[in-house]
Amino acid sequence: MPSAVENVSKYLERIEKDKTNSFIEINKDAIRDAKAVDKKPKKGKLAGLAIAIKSNINVRGLHATCASKTLESYVAGYDATVIERIKREDGVIIGMTNMDEFACGSSGETSAFGHTENPAAKGRIPGGSSSGSATSIAANLCDISLGSDTGGSIRNPASHCGVVGFKPTYGLVPRYGLIDLAMSLDQIGPFARDVKGAATMLEVISGFNVKEGTTLKANNGYAKNLNPDISGYKIGVVEEFERLTDHKITKEIDKSIKKLENKGAEIVEVSLPNLEAGLPTYYLTVFVEFFSATRKFDGRRYGKKIEDVCGREVLRRILLGKYISQKEFTGKYYKKALQFRSLIKAEVLEALKDVDVIAGPTVPKLPHKLGGEIKDPLVMYAYDVLTVPANLAGIPAGVIKAGEVEGVPVGLQIQGKPLGEQKILNVMQAFEGAAK
Amino acid sequence: MKTIIGFEIHEQINTPTKLFCDCPTTYREVEPNTNICEVCTGMPGSKPFPVNQYAIDAAIEIAMMLNCEIIKDPVYIQRKHYNYPDLPSGYQRTSLPIGKNGNLLGVGIWEVHLEEDPGKYDPVTGKVDYNRSGVPLVEIVTAPEIYSAKDGRNFMRELVKVLSYTGKVRTEGGTMRMDTNISLEGGRRVEIKNINSIRGAYKALNFEITRQKNLMKRGKSVKQETRAFLESQMITKAMRAKEEADDYRYIPDPDIPPLLVFDEKIESIRAIMQEAPHLKEERFAHDYGVKADDANILASELELANAFEKIAKEVDPKFAANWIRDELKRVLLYNKKTFKESGIRHKHIVGLLKMMQRGEITAKTGQKVIEIMGEKPGDPQKIVEELGMGKITKNDVLETAVDEAIKENKKAANEYLGGKGEALNFVVGAVMRKTKGRADPATILKMLKERLEK
Repeated sequence: MPSAVENVSKYLERIEKDKTNSFIEINKDAIRDAKAVDKKPKKGKLAGLAIAIKSNINVRGLHATCASKTLESYVAGYDATVIERIKREDGVIIGMTNMDEFACGSSGETSAFGHTENPAAKGRIPGGSSSGSATSIAANLCDISLGSDTGGSIRNPASHCGVVGFKPTYGLVPRYGLIDLAMSLDQIGPFARDVKGAATMLEVISGFNVKEGTTLKANNGYAKNLNPDISGYKIGVVEEFERLTDHKITKEIDKSIKKLENKGAEIVEVSLPNLEAGLPTYYLTVFVEFFSATRKFDGRRYGKKIEDVCGREVLRRILLGKYISQKEFTGKYYKKALQFRSLIKAEVLEALKDVDVIAGPTVPKLPHKLGGEIKDPLVMYAYDVLTVPANLAGIPAGVIKAGEVEGVPVGLQIQGKPLGEQKILNVMQAFEGAAK
Repeated sequence: MKTIIGFEIHEQINTPTKLFCDCPTTYREVEPNTNICEVCTGMPGSKPFPVNQYAIDAAIEIAMMLNCEIIKDPVYIQRKHYNYPDLPSGYQRTSLPIGKNGNLLGVGIWEVHLEEDPGKYDPVTGKVDYNRSGVPLVEIVTAPEIYSAKDGRNFMRELVKVLSYTGKVRTEGGTMRMDTNISLEGGRRVEIKNINSIRGAYKALNFEITRQKNLMKRGKSVKQETRAFLESQMITKAMRAKEEADDYRYIPDPDIPPLLVFDEKIESIRAIMQEAPHLKEERFAHDYGVKADDANILASELELANAFEKIAKEVDPKFAANWIRDELKRVLLYNKKTFKESGIRHKHIVGLLKMMQRGEITAKTGQKVIEIMGEKPGDPQKIVEELGMGKITKNDVLETAVDEAIKENKKAANEYLGGKGEALNFVVGAVMRKTKGRADPATILKMLKERLEK
């Protein structure tokens, strides 16, 4: 075991030479923090590990810019609850990662600090919005990172970069200190190179927070209880996925599911008839909640008014949110979205009723080439069709690299029942073993 | 001309912590921006804590005291968006109704709900103090069922009494804020904001009624608008036309699960809830046979009403009620204190009234004792002993005083003997002065008559 200082120094050197633009800010005190860990006689679960944090999570003393000019000079005055928990387990915060501005996007191109490169597929977008948190794992610039997932922002870049990413059950991980995109959908979750790493981080950050209205009283020893024996597991496959997904990706996913079957799992067909309604439901919710969440960036406290300096996608969402939340549209958009959300949630839970997990693709298409920015928002939003249902239903979902298509990683998405994290992680670990 | 008035009243709940965080609510006693945290200043990423339970319970109790039905469906906390420097997040959190369809003095109570106070913005310096930001408020909205400024004042007095009975709102002055809606027959509805006292409400309503009547007299129409009450000048001034009303874009706050009030909660509050003051008045009149006006005064303060009920067990209730109304209230008013603040205990009053009933002290002395107690509460027996105010009955002191008074008031004495009976009262007064009120007037009169007529 290298010391914390050795471990952190190694990564700092690598970051120095890195060309992926994964980080917006490096923690100048990382070595000092690592020294403090080395001095401790009794060390925590993350002792000396270098942890990268998405730039929409508050880490005291570091910039929580959300990759936006709006917050370019905002230095966090407090630690998010997840950061407190990481520090308590002796993880060392190495820096703040690049992202789509205010987590609005799934390409990694909308950052005010420049786009992020995909180290696993040169010339392609890394996915987003937690772009830098995924690429910092793929480029070996840290041990574990944190991202946030509102409609796929952890799973999408995990898929495109070929790393492990995990979006927990809504409420399992405290959001206190996470800068909002859509409060009813946002969840913080880990990226890691292996399932064990993600499970360990999940174990550290999950559990009830007394200072928050929406956390759940649950936390299992996810890493401790990892068990790759999935014989007897029922794994659902969704018939609607195929029609929406690039057939080359489907082929790769089918091969992966076959591997799970070989591990003793039983494959069961399930259906999500309203799958595509997830997109409008999701985006209407995001627009309204994001509009509300950004009212505090009025230029009085954080330097710049958001509408004056933000990028096109952020502005589009604010203006749409402002438009559809008007009194005259009460009941027409947001309320309808909430109603539809209940419907989709019920449908997802129904599909999960008789299976342990659902396995399938993460993103329906391969990541596009950098510079080929998609101008039509509807085309762009369609990339999220397979990831938003988990957020709308509040269920957990993990992504692990299934294989490659034309040299580009594609991720296998495993979705489970509310608080069914352990089974998802078990399936992922079984797959990890089979893939080796 | 028919006048229609409705009120929206905001009162701060007297909880030690804010509605969505643990910061203290003592915003006035401390330096600006010291009772703050990332929650009540809306720092990026902060989330509201679970809603302050004391504040929820207080709002339920107030709603129940106002005879409201308590909402059993999920009560959402909404975000009310508007842009003002005192709002750190660009929205104010305000709950949907916790209670609905109540009434007080025949005026409908439309709803009772919870909300958070914003910070304090000083337009002159451009500075904002967030100490107040997040302090819990209860808002009470009445139906437009008040028909004169005077009725408005009576309603507000009764409402303040009800609120003080609950003991759940801040009682120090200046924390109440109200808006009022007023319309005259044939005119549009005008909203007046920025009213901070019952007196202010009365003045604002009277001003507004006169203003609107004058407009109509001159054949002009009354616009639908929002006006501000300027306390210093006792006038209202146009703020903005209602037509361009803000769109607050209400949404349920996704960070806060809706409140759910269960029957057990309602029952547990009912068990500790005070009897409403107007019901208490009725009961006092019925059970103790006190006059309606006296009952009103006795019920004006919960602690006083409770003290009265204890006193009435030991002393004739009518005598006690009378004396409390005339003497105790006079002393409390003079000292500008509530009964509770005065520190006077019911047993002291019982002691004092009994001494008077037993003839140990005169009514005059009783007045003096309660005046002393008003400034320095204590056992009346001791006060009387220490100051030597026990009643003077037949003794040398009294006889000497009577003799002197006759000598010094020969003219009055002669008039009495000449058949002018009331002239003797003057001499009685002189004796009272000489004995400092410690002698019984009836005894003095009797002695004077004996002395003069023999």
